[in-house]
Amino acid sequence: MTSISTTPSPKEVIRRQGNYAGGISRLAAFAADVGASWGLFTLGAALLSVATELFVGTSVNLTRHQVVAFVCLVVWEFFYFTYSWTVAGKTIGMALLGIQVVTADGDRITARQAAVRTITLPLGFLTLGIGFLGILYQRNRRAVQDFCAGTCVVYAWDARAARLRFMSHTDFGARRQSK
Amino acid sequence: MRSLWGRGCQDESDVFNPGCLMSPNPVTSRMEQMAQQVAERVVALVLDAIDIDALLDRVDVEKLIERVDVEKIIERVDVEQIIERVDVQKIIERVDINALIGEMDIDALVEQTELGAIIARSTTGILSEVLDVIRAQGVGLDDFSLRWANRLIGRKVTDWPKGPPLLVAPEEPK
Repeated sequence: MTSISTTPSPKEVIRRQGNYAGGISRLAAFAADVGASWGLFTLGAALLSVATELFVGTSVNLTRHQVVAFVCLVVWEFFYFTYSWTVAGKTIGMALLGIQVVTADGDRITARQAAVRTITLPLGFLTLGIGFLGILYQRNRRAVQDFCAGTCVVYAWDARAARLRFMSHTDFGARRQSK
Repeated sequence: MRSLWGRGCQDESDVFNPGCLMSPNPVTSRMEQMAQQVAERVVALVLDAIDIDALLDRVDVEKLIERVDVEKIIERVDVEQIIERVDVQKIIERVDINALIGEMDIDALVEQTELGAIIARSTTGILSEVLDVIRAQGVGLDDFSLRWANRLIGRKVTDWPKGPPLLVAPEEPK
């Protein structure tokens, strides 16, 4: 029977760097990205409102212009994801969860691939989640946006630092106690 | 004045000249000369008859070395002078530092010293440790969900590739 305990050992986790990332990490990263992008958008809108009130004298409130707000949000989301993936291969949420978008071969993705991936990202939701099933059932754990952009997602955090942290708290710590 | 010890001799200590050992008496002198010639001949014959290799074989070198006072020899060696004659710079230039570092087990070094803890303490905070935990939990849950999702459709995922070819070395066939 499969064990319910799911946390692998630190050594095992470090060994996974460069391996295909799974659904839970990607979902958590996406949730963090939604929060981060929404937060930044709201902050930007508030700053814009304050700035226009200061310099023009009239406050710009996006809640009164829902179509404009929606278009701004779509443009912002497109910019947020495309720019992040182009520059670093990861968004804020992906950086937190330690995952990265790379090409199907494992190389850095291009701006075009980042743009295609961003545009096709909603396809997974529009198909009621069927577009995301590839993460669980496809050999390379690729969702619909990955197929469209020729990308995949891998674990990629600072394994060396993580290992040093692990060693300083386990092996070395235990050795010191045994002395 | 003519020398008492024969022609070309300074004194009796000139042992390398056989004529010098001769006495002033002519009869005795001839006898001595003959004896000298016989001795020379005998020594030559004896030396020819001796098998040096066989003799060396019979020498117990180990015993000989044991009797050598190495400490005394070392004491007489001027190490400072030897070191002065060594061109250390030339030796260093010939050492391939990169190859040397390549052969070093850095991980073992870090594990055996406090280096790991020092680096970890200087580069990380509580946030990094929290992130490590979150990420490790994420990896575990990823495995768990993948395993169970494929178990639902009765499929095993053991032979799936681990990652993209540029990031993960291909597994050797079993």
